[in-house]
Amino acid sequence: MMQKKWKIAAILAVALSLSSTYAMAEEYFWLWVVNPSRQKGVKPVTDKPYQNECGECHFAYQPGLLPAKSWEALLNADALRKHFGANAEVDKDTLRGIHDYAVDNAAEKSFYKRARKIAVATEEGPAPLRITELRYISRKHHDIPEKMIKGNPGVKSLSFCDKCHTQAAQGVYDADTVNIPNYPNWDGWFSK
Amino acid sequence: MKCRVKFRNMAAGISLAALSGMVYADDMAVNLILPTDASFYTHNFQSLKSPSYLLAANEGEAVPDAVKGPASVAPVIPAAEFKPPMFTGRNAHKYLGLGTIVLAGLTAATAPGEACETNCPPPSSQPRQTSGTAHSRLARATAAMAAATVMTGLLYHWDDFHMEDGWTDPDNLHAMLGTAGALLMLYAVDKSAKSTVPTSHAATAELGAVAMVVAIKLTW
Ligand code: HEC
Ligand code: HEC
Repeated sequence: MMQKKWKIAAILAVALSLSSTYAMAEEYFWLWVVNPSRQKGVKPVTDKPYQNECGECHFAYQPGLLPAKSWEALLNADALRKHFGANAEVDKDTLRGIHDYAVDNAAEKSFYKRARKIAVATEEGPAPLRITELRYISRKHHDIPEKMIKGNPGVKSLSFCDKCHTQAAQGVYDADTVNIPNYPNWDGWFSK
Repeated sequence: MKCRVKFRNMAAGISLAALSGMVYADDMAVNLILPTDASFYTHNFQSLKSPSYLLAANEGEAVPDAVKGPASVAPVIPAAEFKPPMFTGRNAHKYLGLGTIVLAGLTAATAPGEACETNCPPPSSQPRQTSGTAHSRLARATAAMAAATVMTGLLYHWDDFHMEDGWTDPDNLHAMLGTAGALLMLYAVDKSAKSTVPTSHAATAELGAVAMVVAIKLTW
């Protein structure tokens, strides 16, 4: 009897800590609890128009990599015309679909681990516009020498996640799946 | 006799810990082969021979160039051929954690009935068995594996633990719940092993196991 109470208390404590940051329906919480499949990265992109339009110049970033407020700021006609120095305009209807897809699947709407991490960290403060500038992401890549990124013809920018993260399209960013182009033995160079 | 059993359990614990340490040492060995910038140029000469590397040196930092990315890419190992390695410290941590949960389940399954709390029969004249039973062996193995899990976690995921992210950060919660769970299980084993009368240590141990399960789920 006593054990059961403890168990329930422990699980509830965790549930509470999650729900304080998650405006998530309870049913989704329980679906996540009983789902045994791995959800350690971010949810892969499932929307065709998003994949096509936003995967044109760079890999189509999963919406779970930024909070909704960031997608709100990035995905409007004005912002897309001046999209990091490029013109990424799309027609109105497509934009609405892409916007809604991104916002509905933003970090705080996801139970995937890395999305949850990003959601917790961006809950307060201004909307980040770059994934690479999130504290979590920049910290993870802090020690990679410039020559492996900007100076590397196979990468060129940290924004091109899929160049190094071989399973980025599946939403998997584990360090064990990293293969830096032209630096097959990168591991141990800068980590630790 | 008691002493020998203790020694054997200690040895088991140490070898488990050493096993986890060995994976680490393995990584370190790679470090030793490729430690300096200078050796990079001798090892990875491919990138020097690659014409695109030389071309790239003349390219500006302009964004449109970067955007053209895929066309001018000449990776030595195409991503498709890359296979994530099997034996990594992070994998060791994962399997040790899962193994701990399996052992904890077996330990609970072999428990010799609830410790008595009310209406206890008079304690038998037989001394209480705290070693040699399946339950006690499994319990010690669970505790040793839990300790090894925490150790590998500290080694391989140290850079995932940042208190500045707050305690609701999934990785921080994972580390704290996992460590607390391991400590609770160690405490339960220790409490029971030291006692000459049946103790109710099941609740503590189970809470520890639940904490570990929740920790795993949080970052699964
Ligand atoms: C015309 C080309 C183009 C298109 C189309 C495009 N982008 Fe970009 N995007 C860029 C460039 C250029 C950058 C900056 C890359 C860099 O800094 O290396 C960028 C950067 C980004 C970043 C920040 C990445 C970082 O550094 O963290 C996000 C987020 C982003 N784009 C989202 C989108 C989305 C969503 C769409 C679909 C509507 C889209 N992009 C379509 C060119 C484009
Ligand atoms: C130059 C290659 C490179 C690029 C480009 C890159 N990464 Fe990484 N990333 C790495 C390496 C290497 C690590 C492992 C760092 C370590 O373990 O110290 C890593 C680690 C990570 C991790 C943590 C993985 C773990 O196991 O904890 C995440 C998350 C991540 N990257 C996301 C991204 C995202 C998102 C992008 C694109 C915006 C990106 N990365 C672009 C090389 C890269």
